[in-house]
Amino acid sequence: MSDTDNDSEVAADGTGIVAPDDETPTWRERKERTEGLSRLTYEYFERARREDQDLRIESDYVERDVLAFPTWPHEMVRNLALTSFFVGMILFLASALPPHIGAPANSTQTPAVILPDWYLYWSFGLLKLGPLNPELSLLGGTKLVSDRAYGVVANIIVVGFISIVPFLNKGAARRPVEQPFWAALGAGGVVFAATISTLAVKNLVPMDTHLLFDLAFLLPIVTACLSYAVLKSMREGYMFELNRRYYRLRPPK
Amino acid sequence: MADEFAKGFTILISAGLAWMTLAGWYNTPSFEGTQLLAPNPTSGLTVYTQVGLVVKEAMLWFAILGFLTFVVVIPIARKLRDAYAGTPEIPE
Repeated sequence: MSDTDNDSEVAADGTGIVAPDDETPTWRERKERTEGLSRLTYEYFERARREDQDLRIESDYVERDVLAFPTWPHEMVRNLALTSFFVGMILFLASALPPHIGAPANSTQTPAVILPDWYLYWSFGLLKLGPLNPELSLLGGTKLVSDRAYGVVANIIVVGFISIVPFLNKGAARRPVEQPFWAALGAGGVVFAATISTLAVKNLVPMDTHLLFDLAFLLPIVTACLSYAVLKSMREGYMFELNRRYYRLRPPK
Repeated sequence: MADEFAKGFTILISAGLAWMTLAGWYNTPSFEGTQLLAPNPTSGLTVYTQVGLVVKEAMLWFAILGFLTFVVVIPIARKLRDAYAGTPEIPE
């Protein structure tokens, strides 16, 4: 049972579970968060804490000071349920909607459309950055590297940046609102992956090619700026220390 | 609120899967052409096909209306009820 076992009155200010200290916001501080998105964020986490507390109080689960749930039955039941779902889904789809099997490939004929698998479109799109390859007036208007080599270098740069990111940010944030900059960078990166993949198949997209090229680079920036603005304003209503302490795993006694 | 969302989501994916399966049977003339959204077959209808087309339509509307009912209508009704009763958003 929880610590508030003896109290019939439910403490809604978060002090029922987390002991009040200097970091616990006063009721006046909570009331001050009255503006739009930050107020909404604040209310959301307050409600989440409250629901969590009510569930703990209603529950007859004996709370022990353990660091995790036992493998059997807790973890295994969940894993078996998930495994059964996916195996069942595979069996159902394979029997009810069997996949189309096309004609065998003709090795003597070049296909009309040459494309990699869809998950490699982003790399294919990075090969089509010719318009970004600068023509240097020093060299008399010629390009320093060919468009093909430029695309390969673009692949190296993008892959290199992605592999550097884990060293720049260790991933301490539990939710995007805690680190708006990195969340915005991630959102922009996801959109860039989508737009650069669309650029790879630009002849199949019913849109002006130049507009598509511009959007491929503008949309990620717009997305990143919007995400940053939204998350930054949410951050004002997010009680960082309180939520971090509340959701932290309790150490064993 | 989370329970209501789970109910609506379950309805959406279950009925959606049934709709997708039936549409794959009756409204997908070929793999290369229109998938799932092709017009209904008009000739050579067996009883099974006719029943399947009706069930397909019913599943589509069940997915849409069931999801909206549990995710939009019921939460709004509860909000309104709480608002008229004067219950505060966050318990004081």
